[in-house]
Amino acid sequence: MDILNQLLAGFATAATPANLMWAFIGCVIGTAVGVLPGIGPAVAVAMLLPITTKVEPTASMIFFAGIYYGAMYGGSTTSILLNTPGESGSMVTAMEGNKMAKSGRAGAALATAAIGSFVAGTIATVVVTFFAPLLADYAVRLGPPEYFLLMVLAFTTVSAVLGKSTLRGMTALFIGLALGLVGIDQISGQARYTAGVPELMDGIEVVLIAVGLFAVGEALYNVLYEGRTVETRNALSRVHMTRQEWRRSWPAWLRATGIGIPFGAIPAGGSEIPTFLSYATEKKLSKHPQEFGTSGAIEGVAGPEAANNAAITATLIPLLTLGIPTSNTTAILLGAFQNYGIQPGPQLFDRNAALVWALIASMYIGNVMLLILNLPLVGLWVKLLKIPKAYLYAGILIFATLGVYGMRQSAFDLVLLYAIGLLGVLMRRYDFPTAPVVVGMILGPLAEAQMRNALSIGEGRWTVFLERPMSLTLLLVVLAVLVLPRLARRRARAAAPAG
Amino acid sequence: MSNSPSTPPSHSSRSVLHQGLIGAGALLLAGLLAFGALGISSEAGYAGVGPNFLPWVVAAALLCCGVLLLREARSGGYRALEEGSGAGRGHWPGFAWVSAGLLLNALLITTLGFILSCALCFVLAVRGLRSAEGRLDLSPRAWLRDAAIGIAIAAPVYWMFTQLLAISLPGLTGTGWL
Repeated sequence: MDILNQLLAGFATAATPANLMWAFIGCVIGTAVGVLPGIGPAVAVAMLLPITTKVEPTASMIFFAGIYYGAMYGGSTTSILLNTPGESGSMVTAMEGNKMAKSGRAGAALATAAIGSFVAGTIATVVVTFFAPLLADYAVRLGPPEYFLLMVLAFTTVSAVLGKSTLRGMTALFIGLALGLVGIDQISGQARYTAGVPELMDGIEVVLIAVGLFAVGEALYNVLYEGRTVETRNALSRVHMTRQEWRRSWPAWLRATGIGIPFGAIPAGGSEIPTFLSYATEKKLSKHPQEFGTSGAIEGVAGPEAANNAAITATLIPLLTLGIPTSNTTAILLGAFQNYGIQPGPQLFDRNAALVWALIASMYIGNVMLLILNLPLVGLWVKLLKIPKAYLYAGILIFATLGVYGMRQSAFDLVLLYAIGLLGVLMRRYDFPTAPVVVGMILGPLAEAQMRNALSIGEGRWTVFLERPMSLTLLLVVLAVLVLPRLARRRARAAAPAG
Repeated sequence: MSNSPSTPPSHSSRSVLHQGLIGAGALLLAGLLAFGALGISSEAGYAGVGPNFLPWVVAAALLCCGVLLLREARSGGYRALEEGSGAGRGHWPGFAWVSAGLLLNALLITTLGFILSCALCFVLAVRGLRSAEGRLDLSPRAWLRDAAIGIAIAAPVYWMFTQLLAISLPGLTGTGWL
């Protein structure tokens, strides 16, 4: 009952006209950002981080969360109507959604994506509501050794497990950790890697890295390599589902929600794996397997889209209760909290209860807003796809400048932004994942502090990580995550010639 | 851009030379980190490890990554590589336009102010992106039109930040309007 009371109080805060307005603007910007190719929620939140200096925390977190899940709704529109996915979680939706749109069923695909996102988002929000406080209660008991290993787990999964190449993932992670080293050491107060540049004393802003890698990098990549790429657009049909399409959609939504939530909730988030899993499940269970990959099966849109939204919503659980981000966007949301001097973690539910519950309540409200924004108004969003690419990317550069310069008022940062943009081009061209860089740079300093605190507890002995049952378990999980996929792959390879 | 002398790959992301250079870049970064780590104190306190511990770990790890990347590049290229999307070769003139826009913006933002500096960046970036599409238009009319669009994007954003949110951005004048 306590949770329900808190939630009600949260609704009271979230439903004030000002906060409703922030949620609405967030959802609108989020949807737009999701629809526009070449710009994702991570960049959008990063570019708008300067507002944290003036807007009060509850309002801005509601705003950012609106952008975060708004982008998921918008992303599906682009992936169904264009042949390029708006954001990575929509990759699978693009496969079936495009096929459906090509055979004249774009409207049904858009409807099942939007309604599926709503169903999954709402169920996942209910899970966050009831599960996060429980986890927070438990997490209070974790000490520095456990925290350090949880962060190591997040590093490992984001760099070694999710990508195609462990080596490139690890390289990206250590580049991120190196960027995180710049500035004042949290524990000793010593300056590191500042090379006498005063701007570097405060460290490198996460805004700069995110905007550089994703916005400037994207614009530079586009001018270099994508100039001649012609995108084909599918025609929009009436947004409507037949009775039979409803019947085929809803089991897929529910199954996918079940698949998505656990993947988002463990500190090994990422929405790629659950979307692929959901796609495979639907393909296997479907009564119309011949439609997959040919005329487009509605289950193949409904499932992955719901899984994506469920996973994305559930990534807020490790962020809010443990302070551990597992994706680009949650890493930047963590940056937003830090700007307010708030450290997400188990104490968040005590110390900043009003903020957390208003945020959670706003997620229910936001999902309803987004359903309305995306179903009847989808035609409006599609118009955004008509913006010429040159204007789109050049415009993104203006917003990139705004975000980076607005944060610290330093022209030096703009030069650094260009350099990070070049890094982004290289990483995209040579297939290095970018999430480990962002997660590494924002989580690196926290992990370092936890490690040194843990070693202080152990009076300098590394065995401190082995002596506590919880930290030993986590250590074993990290090892399992590193070793098991390799063993499975080796086994598959050994079995392949025989079978 | 040159490639390996024997068999030039059709796609630049497969180039042994490029992949090798990236490996070398990781090694260089490792070297810089190690050099910097020499100057960080090892004052450890109770923890047994000081502020120079993680820098050394990261430097060592990047050294390993660099060596392994070089080895992969030399022995058949990066593993499980998905070729970067788009053309096999870069369009460097367009890149130069966009780079000029971004760097001039960094140089001029404090003197010209946010709106004009960003509009300049916008105009130059549009030149670059258009030239990548093979539709570079250098007529005065196109310059003026794009400058107007750039100002039309930058100005409302500037006003929203300076007037509504009271976040300071540089202006040509002190009025907060330009």
